[in-house]
Amino acid sequence: MTHAVSNQEPTSTSPGISRALTITSAVLALSIAIWAYLVYSAPLDSVQGLIQKILYVHVPCWFAAYAGFAVTAVCGAFYLWKNDERFDRVAVAGAEVGVLFCTLGLVTGPIWAKGTWGHWWAWDPRLTVTLLLWFIYLAYLLLRSFTEGSTRTARFAAVYGIAGLAVIPLNYFAIQLFGGAAMHPNNLERGSLGTGMGWPFAAGVFTALLAMLHLVLLRVDLENKRIAANANAAEWDSDEGF
Amino acid sequence: MNALLAVLWKDLLTEWRSRDRAIAMLLFSMLMVVIFHFSLPGGATTATRAYAPGLLWVAYVFAALLGLGRSFAIELENDAIEGLARAPVDRGWVLLGKTIANLLILGFVQAVTACIFALVFEMNLMPIALELIGVVALGSLGLCSVGTFFAAVAVRTRLREVMLPLLALPFYTPVLIAAARATNSLFETGSVAFEPIQFLIVTDASYLIVSFILSDFVLDE
Repeated sequence: MTHAVSNQEPTSTSPGISRALTITSAVLALSIAIWAYLVYSAPLDSVQGLIQKILYVHVPCWFAAYAGFAVTAVCGAFYLWKNDERFDRVAVAGAEVGVLFCTLGLVTGPIWAKGTWGHWWAWDPRLTVTLLLWFIYLAYLLLRSFTEGSTRTARFAAVYGIAGLAVIPLNYFAIQLFGGAAMHPNNLERGSLGTGMGWPFAAGVFTALLAMLHLVLLRVDLENKRIAANANAAEWDSDEGF
Repeated sequence: MNALLAVLWKDLLTEWRSRDRAIAMLLFSMLMVVIFHFSLPGGATTATRAYAPGLLWVAYVFAALLGLGRSFAIELENDAIEGLARAPVDRGWVLLGKTIANLLILGFVQAVTACIFALVFEMNLMPIALELIGVVALGSLGLCSVGTFFAAVAVRTRLREVMLPLLALPFYTPVLIAAARATNSLFETGSVAFEPIQFLIVTDASYLIVSFILSDFVLDE
């Protein structure tokens, strides 16, 4: 694949990505405006008050984070199967964006927890597993930067990305069986949100997932340009006779 | 299967001739027991025995990481790792052979550490020795299977000594939680709880199967 893009100008974005980015930017801008309005006009929670509105940021962040990690694992598996470098570029984008949203979730969570549970942190299964997931995908990114050779980096990263998602059920069951009591609600049952809270929540999830997609596309584009620039530099070096 | 035995024999023989890895691991875990004594309020005695299972497993995990890192680092000399990767055998057996060698070396270190631990915490481990060996073996199989797998990855990276713990520790948590819980029930009641053992068996089996299947991707020329 390196050869296929080596003749491109390093600064040019492929037409497909460029078109997709235009669409996601426009829809994202609109979606953020609608989401902000809905959150502003959403009713105050009768028990928690204003702090409950962090729900519209906190939970959507998790949707985006898990979607990013799923992209990494799925594209990693496809990379190992098809040996096509394009999957690896999407995988690294998914991991970076996933870590970003995971960090946002881990920051917004304790703010809400302090206000409602009275503690910044609790060793609840979902919380602990997500923290471990954050560590795993940070290690994934470190592994990529510490491994030499693009094929080996992609292969090791793909293996770790898949294993990282696969270890989640084990960690979850271990903590649930032998760890602390659950603080989070078990699942988002239909009707667990109060009247008027459903739409801002849905808008938040949609906006976060769209933002995730937009950032993944931007990151893939950046990776394409980086690889094209490296290929051009290598060609230039060989032309100069180095 | 022959590849497994050959790699296992080679690793144990190399270790027997140099004995450097086992001695380093042993010294390290003994030092950790001493450090635990100084870090506990009032020292490691019967009063602080409630912390013993967790501390014992912390010592085991760090000793394991130290030894696992070396298990592939020695293969870098004379590019022996290329020979391992190019051998006309299934790489899964090569990895499994190394896993068992690591398990045996770690087992020796763990046995000596447990004796020192019992002395320091004033515990009599003899009546529960067999059960403890079973729990430690199950926990260590989990540590060594996934640890050997990631050691093969970490050895090919820069800063490999740092990389192995970062890669392996999130995978060690389920093992550590269940093993510490099983050891705790053993120390407190004298019998092993069934649930953590069941969980350890499932975890070990998943780690062994996954590392066997994915071995082709981590052991490369």
